[in-house]
Amino acid sequence: MSIARQAACIAAVVMATAVSLASADEAAKWLSAEPLPTEPLFTEHVEPILRERCYGCHSHAAGVIEGGLALDWKSGWAEGGSRGPAIIPGDPEASLLIRAIRHVDPDLSMPDDQLPDHEIATLVNWVAGGAVDPRSLPAAAMEDRTDWWSLRPLTQPEVPAAAAECHPVDAFVDTRLAEAGLASTMEADRRTLIRRLTIDLHGLPPTPADVEAFVADRSPDAYSQLLDRLLASPRYGEQWARHWLDTIHFADTHGFEHDAFRPNAWRYRDYVIASFNADLPWDRFVKEQCAADVFAPEATDRRVALGYLGAGPYDHSAAITAPRSFEHLDRDDLVTQTMGAFASTTASCARCHAHKFDPISQDDYYALQAVFAGIGKGDVAYDPDPQTARDRQRWEQLAAAAQHRDETVLLAEEHAALVAAWEAARGDAAAWLPLELETISSAYGATLHRQADGSILVEDERPEVDVTTLVAKGPATITAIRLEVLADDSLPAQGPGRADNGNLHLNEVAVEVRRPAEPLATPVAIGLATADFNQEGWTIAQAIDGDPKTAWGIHPAVGQSHQAVFTFAEPLVLEADAQLTVVLRQIHGGSHLIGRLRLTVTDGDPQTAIVLSPEALAALKTPAAERTEPQQLVVAAAVLGQRAGQGLAELPPQEMVYAAAAVAENERGTIRYEKPREIRVLKRGDLEQPRQEVGPGALTAVTALEARFPLPAGHDESARRAALALWLIDPANPLTWRSMANRVWHFHFGRGLSDTPNDFGRMGSEPTHPQLLDWLACDLREHKSLKRLHRLICSSATYRRSSACSEEMVRLDPDNRLLARGSRRRLDADAIRDAILSTSGRLDLTMGGPGDQHFSQKPGPQLTPVLNYDDVDWDAPGMTRRSIYRVVWRGIPDPFFDAFDFPDLGLLVAARGESVSPLQSLVLLNNRFVLHHADAVAADIASDTAAAALLDQLREAVRRTWLREPTPQELAELEPIAATHGLAAVCRLLFNSNAFLYVE
Amino acid sequence: MTMRFRESLPPLPRRRFLTDAGGGFGAMAASAWLAGERAAASHGRGLEGLHHPARVRRVIQLFMNGGASPMDTFDYKPALERHDGQMLGPKEKPEGFTAAAGAVMKSPFAFARHGESGRWVSSVFPHQAGIVDRLTFLMAMTSKSNVHGPASYMMNTGFTLPGFPCLGAWISYGLGSISDELPEFIVLPDPRGLPYNQKANFSAGFLPARHQGTVIDAAASEPVPDLFAGEAFGFARGQADRDTRDALQRLNRQHAAEYPADSRLEARLAAGELAARMQLSAPEAFDLASETRGTHAAYGLDRPETKDFGRRCLLARRLIERGTRFVQVWSGPQGAINNWDNHGNIQTELPPMAMSVDQPITALVKDLEARGLLADTLVIWSTEFGRTPFAQGSLGRDHNGGSFVTWLTGAGVKPGVAYGASDDLGYQAAEGKTSSYDLHATILHLLGIDHEQLTFRTAGIDRRLTDVHGHVIGEVLA
Repeated sequence: MSIARQAACIAAVVMATAVSLASADEAAKWLSAEPLPTEPLFTEHVEPILRERCYGCHSHAAGVIEGGLALDWKSGWAEGGSRGPAIIPGDPEASLLIRAIRHVDPDLSMPDDQLPDHEIATLVNWVAGGAVDPRSLPAAAMEDRTDWWSLRPLTQPEVPAAAAECHPVDAFVDTRLAEAGLASTMEADRRTLIRRLTIDLHGLPPTPADVEAFVADRSPDAYSQLLDRLLASPRYGEQWARHWLDTIHFADTHGFEHDAFRPNAWRYRDYVIASFNADLPWDRFVKEQCAADVFAPEATDRRVALGYLGAGPYDHSAAITAPRSFEHLDRDDLVTQTMGAFASTTASCARCHAHKFDPISQDDYYALQAVFAGIGKGDVAYDPDPQTARDRQRWEQLAAAAQHRDETVLLAEEHAALVAAWEAARGDAAAWLPLELETISSAYGATLHRQADGSILVEDERPEVDVTTLVAKGPATITAIRLEVLADDSLPAQGPGRADNGNLHLNEVAVEVRRPAEPLATPVAIGLATADFNQEGWTIAQAIDGDPKTAWGIHPAVGQSHQAVFTFAEPLVLEADAQLTVVLRQIHGGSHLIGRLRLTVTDGDPQTAIVLSPEALAALKTPAAERTEPQQLVVAAAVLGQRAGQGLAELPPQEMVYAAAAVAENERGTIRYEKPREIRVLKRGDLEQPRQEVGPGALTAVTALEARFPLPAGHDESARRAALALWLIDPANPLTWRSMANRVWHFHFGRGLSDTPNDFGRMGSEPTHPQLLDWLACDLREHKSLKRLHRLICSSATYRRSSACSEEMVRLDPDNRLLARGSRRRLDADAIRDAILSTSGRLDLTMGGPGDQHFSQKPGPQLTPVLNYDDVDWDAPGMTRRSIYRVVWRGIPDPFFDAFDFPDLGLLVAARGESVSPLQSLVLLNNRFVLHHADAVAADIASDTAAAALLDQLREAVRRTWLREPTPQELAELEPIAATHGLAAVCRLLFNSNAFLYVE
Repeated sequence: MTMRFRESLPPLPRRRFLTDAGGGFGAMAASAWLAGERAAASHGRGLEGLHHPARVRRVIQLFMNGGASPMDTFDYKPALERHDGQMLGPKEKPEGFTAAAGAVMKSPFAFARHGESGRWVSSVFPHQAGIVDRLTFLMAMTSKSNVHGPASYMMNTGFTLPGFPCLGAWISYGLGSISDELPEFIVLPDPRGLPYNQKANFSAGFLPARHQGTVIDAAASEPVPDLFAGEAFGFARGQADRDTRDALQRLNRQHAAEYPADSRLEARLAAGELAARMQLSAPEAFDLASETRGTHAAYGLDRPETKDFGRRCLLARRLIERGTRFVQVWSGPQGAINNWDNHGNIQTELPPMAMSVDQPITALVKDLEARGLLADTLVIWSTEFGRTPFAQGSLGRDHNGGSFVTWLTGAGVKPGVAYGASDDLGYQAAEGKTSSYDLHATILHLLGIDHEQLTFRTAGIDRRLTDVHGHVIGEVLA
């Protein structure tokens, strides 16, 4: 023991002795007959310790009751939390609270920094003395942390009684202005208004013609007509989708070490654009993104909404090598994203300890993790046409019924009719003809021996994997090929496979024809595959699905022969000199190889060329009307199984969206969560220190709602996501409506009523106009309509104010928090690019589809490619579409967008920056995109014969960029530039001008 | 302490205040802004520090991408020879290892003691062996992650997740620039490719975008991107460029005069002037032709093995000499080859990497010292994690955040000392354990910044480079 520790121990002993002496006195009092005034002991000594050391995580007032244990009233500790009563009066040794503060049990040591010994002694004595506690109600003396503006119930505020016909928004704003003694500016002029409104709603400038028409329109409702027109345009959805994609850190690649492309991410981007354009009710938007699979199971086209769950980054490398911490942090990202984006709450602050400022416990946080505990990121397949999904479901059910011999399904009338039709069309049983084998080979060195019965026995070398290739001549017409895998005594477990258990895995079958006249072999399409037996999860269809990771297997039916038939999509005509090649890929590993096989072909009716078990063949010999029910079942199973397979094969292919789900495909193969992971509270967020298990839920601080979701045992993981969505959109949840109403305001004014749109907690900023925010939030809650909200806000006088103002006004309200004037804003990165394209007349308004790559790429050393943003053809198709359609590479940003504060999408971005720097100036001056289009605008103007004279051309260039006529003074500046260096130099100047970059 | 940044700090450098604030400081003229900056730069001041006097004004960080092996370079472990071939590693594959641990593997390289300090250095670093008495070693650095992405994030940003500002961005945010002529934070990646996490290692995260690293392709003919218009655009080059930009400044000034109270418009004008100045200065800074043949040779520019890293080390010196505050030089791209991620065979994969940097690094340190620059410059040699003392396959080593080596040299640090030690095998830190938090806290401390006070509020938290951790490593301070 070190000297320091010895000293500490001695001190502790001395202290303990002193305390025990004191407590002897106390004990004497307890033992006397008279009831003693016990409250002073509690209130003067015990409660202060609890308050200081424990309430932070265990009290109603803190809004945090970790482990279900509240220590702020007697019933709290008497009933206790998840571990039972915390205190046994009179018995400190048996009391969990005492054990916890003594740090005797590493799993139950609280608080993290152990209490001073004298405080421990005080609590021990108190418990020993019977734990007298006068508190019959939870203490409210401490600040109630749920009493906070964003958590208070959302009720419709009264609109202040300002001027009689005042717009409600103005009534709230003007009341505050009047209180502050500030006068507002006039309404901006029409030229300014149309530019402001168009850029705001569309992210694009209006055309000069739009501007002139609006300026000339003298009708009293010209502005509201403009507003309606802009909201009805699809450009609106493109602009506001961009805001949402920032908010949820959506990008087209993974980020991290392996920053791989997600070719199917764009479908979600298109969903967001379409949703904004359709003014999808906000509650539905929330529900679909969290759980479209639950809320609209039939409408499979809505599954793209789940792309929301896959929006964030993905650490492919950690997923492989450090899966536990990867999953923990991946869920953390989803919790952060969801609570930030929908509820403006910083829940992830409670990952390591109770939230320091807001009433969010670790229990709450891990309950939110539990919501996402059953999903992983990757491509998720769906049917874009719901009818296809219904057909798929029907065939899949039929296939399952055939597999399990489900008589209620197989013998149902509609299916009996299918069987009868098949039998009527069936000709003579197919005759299987041998192939004339020319060569047979093993790619991995196994020996192939031809047997007398035409089969091939595999011997000697037993590689891990193999590819068997057979080249043969055959009959003139072939409709199907049959593969028999045969049991043999020489094989493990009598085969037919070579794996130790007799199994085999046939990953892919490929057939091709080589004709002497043709340089390349022609692949033969297989339309249908059937087998007499399928291993669970390893069906014959997987041998022709093109996916090398899936395969056909026959376990546990080993030691017996099996057969599979591959029916060609079209009958194959095989010329006399043509060769048929059959390739059997067995690449699963573990020597899951075919041990003995025989190939035969038929030219018979493809309908008959399906695999029928001996019992089915026998049953078919009995006339249909005379078959017993077991015979009918055997026949129906065989025929309908085949029919279902055919039906599935004929369906249009599924589409994919990058999302997260219980089953998803990514670089690691199929990610499958059979059931949600068990989620436990982690002490200090440390995976090595798990505590109690928590079920799915949300924030306890929203007291009107059940914070833990009452889901039945064995529920599907999707029920958790659905429950969270319902919690979010409940009218009694004040966060969701305030959150989105504030975001909408933020994007209209450049700053929210609360200027921390992702944080409505104590570290965020309180709203400048809380009543107005609540009024807007109530409107959103009632009508669920963003377009209605835009109309309300944009039609107010507040929105239309001029930004020109006196210095005095700036001095009184430098940040324009009271909205006496309009706010000047710089175009964001996307808008600068789109405005340049729009000016040059080259903006391509084609919507949707795969993203445009504003770079060339070549393979990198690993999954991340090398991108070159300089080496592109700016006129190539798609390169002049709107910026929302560009591929956003998370870790390799476009330098142009980067310079203008396009966000780092490793991060949830509620508000973009508006930085200024010399490097940014250089980018706008010299970036190839800008220069290319400066040239393009100049060429476009010069080609316009109406503007032949240089001065006319200059005027046109100014009109297109500044949307007004130049002053004589401006013309005098520009003219010599144009005359000496060309019109393109002037266009470059205009793109760099503040009049172009800033919106008044 | 949870006060907001602006309430809790002394007045900020003017330039940063102006541009970060985004408005509301209209009275401040661009000329004053510029004048203040010039004064600081031209008089060699800038050691005032943000919270306390600084020892360091500028920093060069050399980053060995992939996880440089400690026990094959600076961390001599005789026990590895005794236990060579024994199965002493963890039975189960730890999180982040790419494979289960193999047998203990001794270093294939000979170690010897060097200098008065008697530091052990392996044969792969013959040049650095000659300067060990000037170096300050952290022998027990640790990382939270054994995976490149998170570990690289941690060494650069203090977090294992994306979205956080890196060290250079924080320094730029905290101190602003020394000079107007060059970007304040420059990254010189390996021309063969970007490191793990790509450019996210140089991100400004939630800080204003202007603090992100400017990535320079040292091999390009025009290294600073968009410094000048491309040759295809004659209307934007030479006299046309000058005339256009003069007119642009005049028109922007007229525009600003119409809206007198907006500092952002002023800031854009000032940025335009600074951009012009950068155009004048930057080409000279990147032109190595003016360096003597002797300097070229010292940095290894005359040999194919060392030419590339040597060129970037020399560039780093020229940049900090001319006022760039933070330069990061990377050795090795991501991927299976050409970096320090030597999974396959330490004996064949490490020596070429080591050789490519050893002479240039040594030359850089000596050159900085000879020019007196080391008096206020800090040089850091770092990597994202170390490697296992256990073999991967039979000849390589796996990732190991348990213990690795970082060294520092230059202003404010004690030369010739080592702090901390790994265990006998070099597997885990045994004493004097440090992490990126401590390293970052120490670097900021030397720059006159209290790491607990340099904060930025985002998403409900006053974020720091050092999260809620970090101790200045007092033992290594001079």
